[in-house]
Amino acid sequence: MGIINTSRIKSPWIMHFDNSSCNGCDIEVLACLTPLYDVERFGIVNMGNPKHADVLVVTGPVNRRTARVLKNLYAQIPDPKMVIAVGTCACSGGVFHNCYNILGGVDKVIPVDVYVPGCAVKPEAIIDGVVLALQKLSKALGVAK
Amino acid sequence: MNQWWIAIIAIIVAPIIGGFLAGIDRKITARLQGRYGPPIVQPFYDFFKLLGKSRIATSRMQFVWIYGYLVFMITCVVFLVLKLDLLLLIFLLGFAGISFVLGGFSSKSPYSHFGANRELMQILSYEPVLLLMALGVYAQNGSFMISEIVKPGAAPLLPSLWPIFIAVLLVLTIKLRKSPFDLSTSHHGHQELVKGIMTEFSGPYYALITLTEWYEIVLVLGLVALFWANPLWVGIIIALAAFVLELIIDNIAARMTVGWMVKFTWAVGLVLCVLNIAYLYLIKGGA
Amino acid sequence: MDLNWMMAVAILLPLVAGILVFIIRQYHIRGLIVILTAIALIINSILLMLHGPDTYTPTSHYWGLAITILDYAMLLFYIYAGLSLKNWLVLIFALTQIIPLAYWEFGMGASKALEEIKPAFVFDHLSIVMVLVISIVGSLITIFALRYMYDHEHHKEIEKSRQSRFLFWLVMFLGAMNGLVMANNLLWLYFFWEVTTLCCFELIAHDLTKEAINNGARALWMNSIGGTTMILAMIYLFAKGGGTAEMLTLESIIKAGGNQAMLLLPVALMCFTGFIKAAQFPFQTWLLGAMVAPTPVSALLHSSTMVKAGVYLVLRLAPAFAGSYLGIMVAICGAFTFFAASVLAIAQTTGKRVLAYSTIANLGLIIACAGINSPLAIAAAILLIIFHAVSKCLMFLCAGTIEHLVWSREIEDMEGLAEKFPVTTFITAIGILSMFLPPFGMLLGKWLALESVFAVPLAAILFVIASAATMVFWAKWLGRLLQVLPRLGRKFESLSLSYSVPLWLLVLGIFVVGIGVAPVYQRFVSFAVNNVVAATEAFAAGWNIVVPSASVAAGGTGALIGSFPVWPLYIVFGVAIVLPLIFVTVKPGELRPVYLCGEQVGGVDTDEWITTADQKAKLQLGGFYWQGATGEGAVNPWFYTVSIALLVILFAVVVGVSL
Ligand code: SF4
Repeated sequence: MGIINTSRIKSPWIMHFDNSSCNGCDIEVLACLTPLYDVERFGIVNMGNPKHADVLVVTGPVNRRTARVLKNLYAQIPDPKMVIAVGTCACSGGVFHNCYNILGGVDKVIPVDVYVPGCAVKPEAIIDGVVLALQKLSKALGVAK
Repeated sequence: MNQWWIAIIAIIVAPIIGGFLAGIDRKITARLQGRYGPPIVQPFYDFFKLLGKSRIATSRMQFVWIYGYLVFMITCVVFLVLKLDLLLLIFLLGFAGISFVLGGFSSKSPYSHFGANRELMQILSYEPVLLLMALGVYAQNGSFMISEIVKPGAAPLLPSLWPIFIAVLLVLTIKLRKSPFDLSTSHHGHQELVKGIMTEFSGPYYALITLTEWYEIVLVLGLVALFWANPLWVGIIIALAAFVLELIIDNIAARMTVGWMVKFTWAVGLVLCVLNIAYLYLIKGGA
Repeated sequence: MDLNWMMAVAILLPLVAGILVFIIRQYHIRGLIVILTAIALIINSILLMLHGPDTYTPTSHYWGLAITILDYAMLLFYIYAGLSLKNWLVLIFALTQIIPLAYWEFGMGASKALEEIKPAFVFDHLSIVMVLVISIVGSLITIFALRYMYDHEHHKEIEKSRQSRFLFWLVMFLGAMNGLVMANNLLWLYFFWEVTTLCCFELIAHDLTKEAINNGARALWMNSIGGTTMILAMIYLFAKGGGTAEMLTLESIIKAGGNQAMLLLPVALMCFTGFIKAAQFPFQTWLLGAMVAPTPVSALLHSSTMVKAGVYLVLRLAPAFAGSYLGIMVAICGAFTFFAASVLAIAQTTGKRVLAYSTIANLGLIIACAGINSPLAIAAAILLIIFHAVSKCLMFLCAGTIEHLVWSREIEDMEGLAEKFPVTTFITAIGILSMFLPPFGMLLGKWLALESVFAVPLAAILFVIASAATMVFWAKWLGRLLQVLPRLGRKFESLSLSYSVPLWLLVLGIFVVGIGVAPVYQRFVSFAVNNVVAATEAFAAGWNIVVPSASVAAGGTGALIGSFPVWPLYIVFGVAIVLPLIFVTVKPGELRPVYLCGEQVGGVDTDEWITTADQKAKLQLGGFYWQGATGEGAVNPWFYTVSIALLVILFAVVVGVSL
């Protein structure tokens, strides 16, 4: 299984889900894909489908409606999977934390592996977050990294 | 026994070549977009990772069809290396394609349903061209056997079949799922129909589809190489050049609609094939 | 057994059995009679096969007399039908038959000459193949019909059972077909031809709805045109033969194949008759209309009888137009029908109409093969007849079974059938796959046809487009059946024996004939091919089908033109589809709902999702039919124009050559 575990680290496909962010973080996520940051160097591909994803990248605070969607999507990702909360909003609710329709951070709904704070987060921070998630995954899998 | 060994070696080697070609594809595409791109072996990482994912299913039949897709594609490759009947190979390729379509139809999912219908339209577009290619080869060689094409001393097909060759390049674009014809699904992560026909395939089954596509790359490039089978290395160079050409087209073209694809491939591809065959028929004076 | 008896069983037993079931109104006894007849027919056809080619003339002259009387009785009945239905076309074309026929037989004195014709029946290997197909496939359909008609009437809540009448025509049909494929005397051929037309009319109109009667009448008048041209052909032959019956046998027409110019016109007329019966464009509408009839009728018309009579006649006459422009035109007409019907089938939303168009397409293919007329093409045609009979029969019986499970013929209503009725769906899937994919027989036939088609390049181009369209409409239909929710634990439905026995036998037949195609070819088909064209080379080597290069005129450079490794491909099919079907299992924990942007209501058991304003809605998918591009409204004007033009050219060429 060595080769499979190595491959897991080398090929994280992400799926980006936007709860109710101000779209600041979303733009930064997409910026990672641009030639300047080019995350495909690390095998990171942005998939539009939970069934193909390994890493769920969530931006924005969870509101009452997206909570259900987020749960559904999370359930559709095959194991092993990681969740990264990108942006202060996704970590804790951020500036929206006391809105009437906001439940709070992503971890109110699904387990989060890595928190990447920032408003909005820098692309470097997002890439760092993914690397951190991979390290966590490799530890869990017992692959030295 | 010799034949068995050739077949077994082809079955083992073809996906490795196909995987590397897929890697080169991603690298060149990245460079064309001003990016650095993933390592050449990235497709293999993806493949093994997908193998290791847990299985999730939306129906049982979808997996049966995926095995059909894989096995029939392998059969096509074996037909190619054993130099068997070209026409039958194309029919078998048809089974592989249909099997994939049925896999897409097997779950009640709007996205894979859409993708499957588009894949059917793709089959409708390229199947006549491929069949006419076989007929063109027959017009030239008087035989449908691939062994007649590659046998020493046989004249290359390209000089007399160049219109069909151009039509086959169109097929190549469809088969490699490149823009403007990456309609049913594409190799890019994000597209407007989620992932088209692939939407409901995940984990190990996605890996099987990837594997099948590697075989498919080798197969269709092999078909292109047949146009200059003596000496074969010229044909291989032509095939690789065609491959790079497809990558460039992929990066400069936008995706077209399904109707446009059918009309275009028929208007250009079929007409080229028909003219070519009519010409050959006239100069050869019938069968 | 004595030849007398074999002929009697093949032709007269169905009639006797038909009368018996008509009289006996008891479901079980009637069923027993039908089953026994079916068994007798099957055994008899095998005995005939073992007996080998022969000729036969009934000793008594009364048979000739009886046939003449029945001929006029039938035509008078058509006139009556035309008058009572107020359908002038039926009337006109009945008159165009009866007047020339009467004038010819009595005015020109042909009846005396006709009685002298010997042998009245010739059965060669081609006839034997046809008899086998008719007796085996046809008999299975009659068995299927027993229960089907029972359910049919039950569902429609018909007070007075008319099953006896139905079974009478159904069983008698087989006898007429057996007679048709063995008849040598043209007048007798014409008689059996008319009997099939009559049976067809009665069966289509069986339900007595307005639509059924109209469509039956349409079948009647269209086929009456065919009857008329056949009579014209006979009169022409009689007149050219100097008032003797010398040329009035199929044998003599075929033998005189070299002396073509004189024969070309009657042969063209008879091919035209065949075209109509085989529902070629522009006469396809009668077969489409026949879909209103109960499904066993469609199965019988499409697989083993009726339309096969049309292709049989063209195939039979193939030696008479070998190497002429008529042959090329026949090939192009057939190929055009293949193309047009395949394209139209894409837009059909009703299962049976898809089947109908597919039949028409395949008949076009067979006729095109007859027109190409090389040994290879003829081999393709005969193999196609066999495979098409088995596969199409299975498909119709499946369609009938499905109809009685979901009480609908619409493809959209069959969505997710795999979930509700897995066994039926499995059989249907086998049927559909066997229609268009390798390694099954139909594809083998198509492959042979394509290998031979280069002789007529225009037909080749029509072939390839048609064959791509074929893939689309079958896959589309099968896709609708397979569309299921992520659920496990399906219950296998149980079918009535009268349904399941024919179904499974046909599935078995597909595989047996498919895998054993090379031995089958060597045992029967090669001889049958020899009855049509002199084929010197064998297309079978061991268990494989091969095409040696000597089989086409120009000759290839190598030893082979093509090869079809039969059993390796069946192994591939087994590995690809059957093994996964058995071994791929899915555990309940692995099931997930389909991707709906995360908006699905929840578990795997529901296909509901949440729309705007948190409303729940059911997920609905529909098939694609591309009716704007391939629908009847969009393309029929073109197809009619071209097909009529082709027929005009055909006759213009023939008349030009004959004059
Ligand atoms: S963290 Fe800041 S930039 Fe990101 S979604 Fe929240 S408010 Fe917008």
